Amino acid sequence: METFDRVLGKVSMALAWTACAIIPCLFTLIVIDVSIRSIGYNPPLFTSSVVEYALLYVAMFSAPYLVRIKGHVAIEALLSVMPHPLRRALAYIVYFLCGTSSLLFAYFSYQLMYYAWVDDILDIRGVDMPQWTQYLPMLIGFLFVGLEFLMYLIGRRHYYSYDLGEVKDGV
Amino acid sequence: MVFEWYWAGAILLGCVMAGMVLGFPVAFTFLITNIIGTCIFVVRGYSSFGEFIDGALRQIPQVVDNSPQLITSFTLSPIPMFILMGSLFFHTGIAIRVFDALDKLLGRIPGRLCFLTVVGGSLFSTLTGSTMANTAMLGSLLVPEMQRRGYNKRMSMGPILGTGGLAMIIPPSSLGVLLASIAQVDVGSLLVAGILPGFVLAGLYAGMIALQLVINPAGAPSYEVEPTTLKEKIRQVVVNIMPMGLVVFMVIGFIVLGWATPSESASFGVVGVIILAIAFRKLTWEAIKTSLIGTIRVVGMVFFILMNSTVFSQLLSLSGASRGLVQWATGFEIAPILILTIMFVVLILLGMFMDQVSMMLITVPIFYPIAVQLGYDPIWFSLIVLMSLEMSATTPPFGLLLFIMMGMVKGTTLGQVASAAAPFLLCDLILVIILVLAPELGLWLPSLMAK
Repeated sequence: METFDRVLGKVSMALAWTACAIIPCLFTLIVIDVSIRSIGYNPPLFTSSVVEYALLYVAMFSAPYLVRIKGHVAIEALLSVMPHPLRRALAYIVYFLCGTSSLLFAYFSYQLMYYAWVDDILDIRGVDMPQWTQYLPMLIGFLFVGLEFLMYLIGRRHYYSYDLGEVKDGV
Repeated sequence: MVFEWYWAGAILLGCVMAGMVLGFPVAFTFLITNIIGTCIFVVRGYSSFGEFIDGALRQIPQVVDNSPQLITSFTLSPIPMFILMGSLFFHTGIAIRVFDALDKLLGRIPGRLCFLTVVGGSLFSTLTGSTMANTAMLGSLLVPEMQRRGYNKRMSMGPILGTGGLAMIIPPSSLGVLLASIAQVDVGSLLVAGILPGFVLAGLYAGMIALQLVINPAGAPSYEVEPTTLKEKIRQVVVNIMPMGLVVFMVIGFIVLGWATPSESASFGVVGVIILAIAFRKLTWEAIKTSLIGTIRVVGMVFFILMNSTVFSQLLSLSGASRGLVQWATGFEIAPILILTIMFVVLILLGMFMDQVSMMLITVPIFYPIAVQLGYDPIWFSLIVLMSLEMSATTPPFGLLLFIMMGMVKGTTLGQVASAAAPFLLCDLILVIILVLAPELGLWLPSLMAK
């Protein structure tokens, strides 16, 4: 399990760096597009479509890394004043529901991607984008988000900032 | 089963509120609520549990399909750029150069570091769109120096908390772009509308600092500073401050002159910061890496929440909750200003327990139709919403900026931080009243732009 967790961490990190790499590509693309327009030529049609899809890739590729570093904002006020057993139980309910719902979304994203691929569905934007390219980052993102939460569920880490020892010792 | 609008609203909002209070990460609160809401309000015509499951499995893919609708929108593209601008300013050290230069310009005046906070914070607000970045930068640069100079906690923390929030209203504002996108108002007009109120607010903060110094001069004692010659002051302005105009021009100037849309000008802003960093020989691989990963942490979190909340807004509409609430709220024979006040108070109260993005996502689908129905200008109403968001970031018990400040000033209690912020909250409230009495303050510049 340790090896799996380590590999999962590396994949999440690689996805996050991919999301990082997308951002410079985005502003470069936009600057080139506006510059071409400013000097009187027709800018490429694909810019807005590519930027729009790239925003989705940024969101989905950074999501698993954010789960690992506890970067998805949560309100801990009530949890922090709860009795330890209740807090522990609630934390595991959170991990379970977040993990399973993410895996469910990953499954449906796969289903949508498969049908979009087979039926060759196009998303009509500035340029027609193959619809499966919209579902691909959702499949990857939700899948690894789900797996990251499962790591919390099996007790490898704890998501919340209050005293971790209290919870882990009690497991 | 068909629900009355109030039950539908109570179920959906109740699920989100309960999830947040129970500690679910905000994005996943929306995601799970979407699944529950779809099962309750969309799955219909079943007579057995098997049929219900079958219906749910047919409808949930629609939730997945609808989720990316909002974030695959070009109008959201400035958000990562504005946050990257702030990160680059901070991690390349350009921000520190600007502050050093401003520091040399202020003479030996009482409370000079407080005024430096307001001037530097306002300038930095025009260079970055992130409230958190602004507060963290002001705090890390100025709090240690203020403590060394014998400023009391109220005078060292208050101006930073107030000025840090200015980034929410002075363009470029990430939250402004987000609000405009969710509420479907013109991004450029909203950004430009924030300029005058932002600087009026900075003036109110400076006035408040002066007043506090009159009441308690010992709170920010004056101290000897090394005299700076006029030549040196001019050199500091030319070398360290005037170049910042390039970034301001590339973001706000490009929008006002119509050379680029607000979404596009943000990218030029990043290019401007990179040009400055190269000119100052401060652009390092390490600074780029740290800035990018810092950007991803904020953008990834916000976009993931946004993505999962898209369907929530659709469910509010589909279940009839939004329409019912608007009809109910506008059906009373009471003055629109009272309804506006109620919405303002609701935002402040929500902000005590919730982050700004979640607040926006929950309230915008309900409040904007009401505001429009009451005859309020959406741009002006957005300014009021941004002001309430700014105020809520410094209201206890969970105002985000309060916690950033507590993290920077060790050994400080929440009560002390909140008390330091209170006079500046009063300034915010005064600006809201000015905006209500004189909406032109916010609407004059957008009207010029439209012409």
